Amino acid sequence: MQSSRPFTDAGMAAMAWPTASGLPSRAVVLGAVGICVVLTAALSMLELGRGGFLASLGRLFEYVGNIIATPDWEYAPTVASKMLETVEMAFLGTALAVVMSLPLGLLAARNSAPHPAVSHTIRAIMTTIRSLPELMWALFFVTAVGLGPLPGVAAIALVSIGYLGKFLAEAIEAVPDAAVEGVVVHGANRMQVRFYALMPQAWPDFIAVTFYVFEHNVRAATVLGIVGAGGIGYDMTMAMRLFRYDRLALILLAIYLAVTILDRLSDRIRARVI
Amino acid sequence: MRDLSPLPRKRVNAFPLWLAALAALFVVVTRDLEIDFRALAWGAADMGEFLGRFETPDFSRLSRYLMLMGETVAMGLWGTALAFLGAFVIAPFAARNLSPHPLIYRVARELLNFLRAMPDLLFAMLFVAAMGLGPLPGVLAIGMHVTGFLGKVFAENLERVDPGAYEAVRASGAGFLQTVMWAGWPSVLQETVGYTIFILDRNVRMAAILGLVGAGGIGFEIKTTMGLFQYDQAAALVLVVGTTILAIDYLSAWARRKVR
Repeated sequence: MQSSRPFTDAGMAAMAWPTASGLPSRAVVLGAVGICVVLTAALSMLELGRGGFLASLGRLFEYVGNIIATPDWEYAPTVASKMLETVEMAFLGTALAVVMSLPLGLLAARNSAPHPAVSHTIRAIMTTIRSLPELMWALFFVTAVGLGPLPGVAAIALVSIGYLGKFLAEAIEAVPDAAVEGVVVHGANRMQVRFYALMPQAWPDFIAVTFYVFEHNVRAATVLGIVGAGGIGYDMTMAMRLFRYDRLALILLAIYLAVTILDRLSDRIRARVI
Repeated sequence: MRDLSPLPRKRVNAFPLWLAALAALFVVVTRDLEIDFRALAWGAADMGEFLGRFETPDFSRLSRYLMLMGETVAMGLWGTALAFLGAFVIAPFAARNLSPHPLIYRVARELLNFLRAMPDLLFAMLFVAAMGLGPLPGVLAIGMHVTGFLGKVFAENLERVDPGAYEAVRASGAGFLQTVMWAGWPSVLQETVGYTIFILDRNVRMAAILGLVGAGGIGFEIKTTMGLFQYDQAAALVLVVGTTILAIDYLSAWARRKVR
């Protein structure tokens, strides 16, 4: 790996940290000073009332103390079923996105698109989709189809198509020419090149990314309830409004457990697939 | 002929099985959530009507919008700075080959996992409820969630460093801190800076959203204007956000190329 031998690479030399003189190099010092200047300038825009900061921290600790105090265990089954709904939303959204992004990825990759214009158009659409997060799309879908898990699933699926389509297109473009040639010399037409050379090579990377996207979607699904798009986020908003700290504690615990368990699980599966 | 061992069994292609199982799960889950995807088609007209209200963006208060966008970018910057500091401190403890004790390693790892598991919007909601409206809860929320993210990436980078680099410094009598500062971070400086710039991009985007739960920035103004049905102004705000995000996208891509 390049990083393990910092002094042999010319490009690295400017950033190498312990220099011959023992002091940090000029690039590092200048960078750090620049960042500090920018941060100080930004501080005035945040209008953090002087002295108010410590008081707010005090209130924060008090609040956290309230949450930790008393979980309402009788509420646990409800939390469990809402958490399951949240995970199911993430699953549906991811599954839909995988199915839709397969053709889109093939059309967006430069080496498999029927025409450069198609590739550019689809890439532009996917960039637009990605520029807004799930929560914003969920707002739109809630106005269209009303409250419930459907707008949440739709928002997750849409944003995931933006990411998965882009990754698939990049994976297809990274397929070496040799793989394509090997199929072409056997007389494959363009469609056969796509299915026997490009897709099989891009597939493992695509699956790996799909797991990451699923993990992200579980996390996203937990907050979609804030705008009424289903999942545990709605119950959390309610618990906060009604100052039910005992329920809030359980909801937070459920989110932490579910996300952690799913992360570990998908790590395992990913390690086996690749 | 009898001594020949039997041919190895042909491996079963499990792909159709997986596909069938996933399809079945899809159907079951759809039933369980009582989702009817046709509703999306029925709602298309409503969605079109809703989008139509944003047709005429009203830029008459542009200077105020730009100031709010500045605040949003400042939130992203400070959130990233906090997260970088947090990750810079925690990551060495969460790297298997650097951590002073296996127990400390586990605790640090779990702490990072917890921070990563909680979405920043969730943190923001909690902090707004605890500290009141304003950019501070937003900055803290981004800082906490992203600490988990950066911390994990940094720790993994530190674990990948050539063991010789650590050995060399330890052999000359360096303690934990000295190993981290003179062998750990210098070896991963490039990736660390690159990834922090990458995450800054995402944080500004997130800062624009956090306003929806009252945590400062331009998102709060979007929420307020939408609540007052001032769609012309909301449209202008969304355009300001979009343009800024695109600009930061290009800037960060450029900066990462420079570092590389």
